[in-house]
Amino acid sequence: MPSEYEDLVSALKLTSVPFAEYAWRTRPEGAYGVVALEFEAGRLDGDGAKCDRVWEGSIDLFYPKLSDRSDLIEEIEETLTETVGNSWELNSTQYENSTGLFHVEWVFQVVNTPEEPEPEAEGDS
Amino acid sequence: MAITMNIEGLAELSEQLAQLGEKAQGVAALGLYEGAGIMVEEIKRGADTIRTEEFHYAVFPAVTQRLPTPEEKAIVQEAGAGIAKFQKNGSEVNTSVGYRNAGYAELKGKSVPIPKIVNAINSGTSFMKKQPFVRKAATSGAQKAEAAITKMIEQKFDEIINNK
Repeated sequence: MPSEYEDLVSALKLTSVPFAEYAWRTRPEGAYGVVALEFEAGRLDGDGAKCDRVWEGSIDLFYPKLSDRSDLIEEIEETLTETVGNSWELNSTQYENSTGLFHVEWVFQVVNTPEEPEPEAEGDS
Repeated sequence: MAITMNIEGLAELSEQLAQLGEKAQGVAALGLYEGAGIMVEEIKRGADTIRTEEFHYAVFPAVTQRLPTPEEKAIVQEAGAGIAKFQKNGSEVNTSVGYRNAGYAELKGKSVPIPKIVNAINSGTSFMKKQPFVRKAATSGAQKAEAAITKMIEQKFDEIINNK
């Protein structure tokens, strides 16, 4: 797991919206969010190894009241900027007729730099 | 949802296109068509990977959200992504790839817009688990499409210059 993503998840859990990773076991009342890391968006190879890997993930916010809108959206966008910098965007906004929920989706990208392996101790030959 | 890809600022390419004069726009359009075709193929491959379920079993991690049904997947696969009519504006050529004008499909006796079904699968809803196949195709296919566009333009440029 990229450390930036772990920071993001723990920061999101401190916001006023209840957040779950990937899915909810029971759907909460009122506004709720889902955060997920989805796929590898790009990588940088060098010396026969993956040097940097970019992961793409998304945040979904569902809320029932239009009056919640500006506060919740601002709070999440501030959290995103604090943790992943500028590498996020507002992807889509939707309204579900059947449930009466508003749905806002953000997409973010985080870089995972693998730790360098420890140099092997020189053995006696 | 829109992911925009710009092919510009490639110094060599723009020099080559400038030499072609009036034919430049046609060559650029040919390149763009090649790139758009690759994006369509990527989205098509993504649509084949959509996971489905006939009935929703409440198993974690998808207790509250179901997966699309096989019928919904079949509609998306059959519709396929399309390439919009090319817009030519001065030296620019623009197009878009996606399901925007895919039309309507019959689902549970109702006529449902196909873009809406694609959006529900791609972005997810409060009751459907998201499977971002279009976004994934756009992210991973961008580099391939860019390479194809550059290759096509260079090839056509060589053909025209050698025939002069």
